[in-house]
Amino acid sequence: MSDFRQSQNEAHPNKRSTLMTGIIVLQILFVTIQIWFLFGALNNALQDNLNFAITTAVGSLTFAFASFWLLRYLPGSIKHKTK
Amino acid sequence: MSKDPNAEIPKWKQDFPIEQKEATHVSRREFAKFLTLLSGALAVGSTAIVVKSIAFPEKPLVGEHPICMESDVPEGESFMFEIEGSKTIPYLLINLGAGEWRAFEQKCTHLSCAVKYRHDLGQIECPCHKGYFNPRTGDVIQGPPPRPLPQLEVVIRDGQVFVKAQQA
Repeated sequence: MSDFRQSQNEAHPNKRSTLMTGIIVLQILFVTIQIWFLFGALNNALQDNLNFAITTAVGSLTFAFASFWLLRYLPGSIKHKTK
Repeated sequence: MSKDPNAEIPKWKQDFPIEQKEATHVSRREFAKFLTLLSGALAVGSTAIVVKSIAFPEKPLVGEHPICMESDVPEGESFMFEIEGSKTIPYLLINLGAGEWRAFEQKCTHLSCAVKYRHDLGQIECPCHKGYFNPRTGDVIQGPPPRPLPQLEVVIRDGQVFVKAQQA
């Protein structure tokens, strides 16, 4: 039975490249939003605005988990495939 | 006549046949993994802010603290003092005249530069980035500071100046 990983490994290199680019673009987006959250939380924590800090921390953790989950769809390296 | 390619290569290079190009190359896979690690680090940072706020809250100032004699600070002048607490914070005592006294934290809320009172302008000035504060309320009048200056309540008793935490 073929699974996701197998069909991904057999896909055309162009497709794998697009997937790779898509993952990197998403991760850059996540990291950018997280930096924004961190900046906001640092500023607001000084004003005793704990609710804001909690909300951004939850958001930031969610983005971090999403980033780790995206690695699952990272195409295998070509080097390993040819071996 | 062909030379042996290994003959001129030093032994240490033969033992570690990694080319510089290969060692410094960052593949897109590695970059994606780096971004994931960065994302994790940012999440840890955001969580640390919450943990610090909950576990180690800043202690409010307790009681009255004697600062100086009323006669030590002429009208329109300011006096710098520090209060030892969970951390040492510098403050600025200002005699606005007509019995009006104010005490503010001396650290600018922008980048913690030392602020000073300008009686000629009637404002508190941060000389670093030209931030101006209201000397009566501590509110930002102009410039990059995002928040008002934290304020203490001033009490004058028997010619002596005391400060205490502001009543909420």
